[in-house]
Amino acid sequence: MKLWGQMLWGHLSGLRGRQGGIWGWACSTWQSHQPQAGPLSASGLVKHWTAVFEKRGIPEARESSEYIVAHVLGAKTFQSLRPVLWTQPLTAQQLQGIQELCNLRLQRMPVQYILGEWDFQGLTLKMAPPVFIPRPETEELIEWILEEVAQRPQAVGAQGSPLILEVGCGSGAIALSLLSQLPESQVIAVDKKEAAISLTRENAQRLRLQGRIQTILLDVTIEDSWTHLLPWGPMDLIVSNPPYVFHKDMEQLAPEIRSYEDAVALDGGEKGMDIISHILTLAPQLLKASGSIFLEVDPRHPELVSSWLQSRPDLCLGLVAVRKDFCGRPRFLHVQRFVP
Amino acid sequence: RGSVGCAGVCGLWAPRGLRRPVRPRGPLRTFLERRAGSEALCPGRAPELLAASKLLSDKERELRETERLLHDENEDLKQLAENEIALYQKQIAQLKHQIILLLVPSEEPDEGDLILEVSAGVGGQEAMLFTSEVFDMYQQYAAFKKWHFEILDYFPSEIGGLRHASASIGGLEAYKHMKFEGGVHRVQRVPKTEKQGRMHTSTMTVAILPQPTEINLVINPKDLRIDTKRASGAGGQHVNTTDSAVRIVHLPTGVFSECQQERSQLKNKEVAMKKLRAKLYSMRLEEETSKRSNSRKIQVGTRGRSEKIRTYNFPQNRVTDHRINKSLYDLETFMQGDSLLDELIQSLKDYADYESLVEVISRKD
Repeated sequence: MKLWGQMLWGHLSGLRGRQGGIWGWACSTWQSHQPQAGPLSASGLVKHWTAVFEKRGIPEARESSEYIVAHVLGAKTFQSLRPVLWTQPLTAQQLQGIQELCNLRLQRMPVQYILGEWDFQGLTLKMAPPVFIPRPETEELIEWILEEVAQRPQAVGAQGSPLILEVGCGSGAIALSLLSQLPESQVIAVDKKEAAISLTRENAQRLRLQGRIQTILLDVTIEDSWTHLLPWGPMDLIVSNPPYVFHKDMEQLAPEIRSYEDAVALDGGEKGMDIISHILTLAPQLLKASGSIFLEVDPRHPELVSSWLQSRPDLCLGLVAVRKDFCGRPRFLHVQRFVP
Repeated sequence: RGSVGCAGVCGLWAPRGLRRPVRPRGPLRTFLERRAGSEALCPGRAPELLAASKLLSDKERELRETERLLHDENEDLKQLAENEIALYQKQIAQLKHQIILLLVPSEEPDEGDLILEVSAGVGGQEAMLFTSEVFDMYQQYAAFKKWHFEILDYFPSEIGGLRHASASIGGLEAYKHMKFEGGVHRVQRVPKTEKQGRMHTSTMTVAILPQPTEINLVINPKDLRIDTKRASGAGGQHVNTTDSAVRIVHLPTGVFSECQQERSQLKNKEVAMKKLRAKLYSMRLEEETSKRSNSRKIQVGTRGRSEKIRTYNFPQNRVTDHRINKSLYDLETFMQGDSLLDELIQSLKDYADYESLVEVISRKD
């Protein structure tokens, strides 16, 4: 750490004359036909910061430093950097940028917040704390929904179809990936937090999808709040990745999650069912006949939801299918409204 | 074109050394006379082959008759004859070409896409630098042929070389051309990393895997196990990771593939699937190509994978393909991956067609 500090200090102060200070030293090392990458190169920095992160117990030390260095150099992944950039010495500005971002990582900030963006279903979305960071599992929820929609002839092709309600839009990941892959669809995206609504709107604009999405600040757990959604007409689909963590599990979450992501986006109450049950309760009022609800849940929820639905025959909802994520855990539910 | 393959095929029509007036009966002609109507020879297109074969005989006969008129005293008649002869020769050449196309069996993957894999071989950093240059060459060749080129994995070395990379290449007859590039490529030069100016020989390996269509290869999802870093614990909202590497294992065969190139786990899974399908398809095709003669100079598939097929000698500015013993000069231009590389590949293709034909003719069924 000391040597690094000296180098960086020397580098920053000696930059004015290209021949001066640490810059000159780095240059001469570079020209001495050694096939090793200098310490001030992208490779050298990744090596350095990986060691620092490991020493400080930061999870995914190598991935974190690779993503940060790549990002500062303008690439999404370290491997996609043009090989020549791997070994060139970096500019002072780049070094400073990397230093700042790595300091954030030392404070356990999630990499997605550090970079300010992340990829989901082929889209690059802006990320900003404390709005919930999309998880890889949720990409599979999108896949399932697309498969189901493709099998319904009337839903495909007609304008404004399917009409989708998303509860808890967060960064807009689900809403926007559906919009981008279902060109005729429209989405009503709802969230109880202003930060989420704001971020969804910004991502929609970045992706030029703002014309087909309506964002509404709304808390579905407040009694009758859903009536505000009636003017948009009955929906074909309701989708959600609702807060589903069991309350007692909240304190066991990693510092990255606990300290930076909005607990409200995660905590589902005692059995993780609070928001899920609210969504299922409002669904019959807002769904077309035979409309569907797609949810991402905790692996313990399929049974809980099944019994809950049985205790509420008035809702006329049935659990039609459970789908596993690619780690083999039951993760996604398809609930359908049936006509009694 | 004057290439070896072309000469080889010509030789099948008429053994070299025989003069024109003596009617040559090369092995191909004899073969056609016996077998042109056979359905087994040319599945689905036997009538076409028979018709072309007959037409060829007719045209050749007409040519011979017209040639007699060259000795006529009448100038006008002579001129007419010359014109007709030129026409007949052109038609005959076209018919021969058509017959060859009908006879040379095309492989199932010929029309499709492929996955290109490059790996550094013997020679440390120098081998990795060379691997990077060869990969760039193919990327440019794909652009030259107007093919789609998508990098699937890319593992650079510390000094800008390449340990291993793979790319998906697709377009018109992509596999048909690229299939001859599989094997060990050797480079001879003074490496950038060499302090004392000595010549080194390093190697890199190219593997070409044809990509199956959905129909060509059907995989049961139940036969697959997908490994990711998120496997332990509850996953989902409980975990935030940026390690989106995916490995897919085909349980019945144990074949697996991985991808960690993208930020999106789904994308990594798609790429890993693509590579897995290509590997499994390759294995299945091996059964077909194993029926082919071992004595062929141009081997495709895993049989050719460890063959030293080509040497790139920088001091002599020469690239030599050892299978057809053809050398091209101007190595720098060759490595740009356009017409020179295309010329070499065309020569290889001609020779491979020739070897196919020889096998077809000499089969005793």
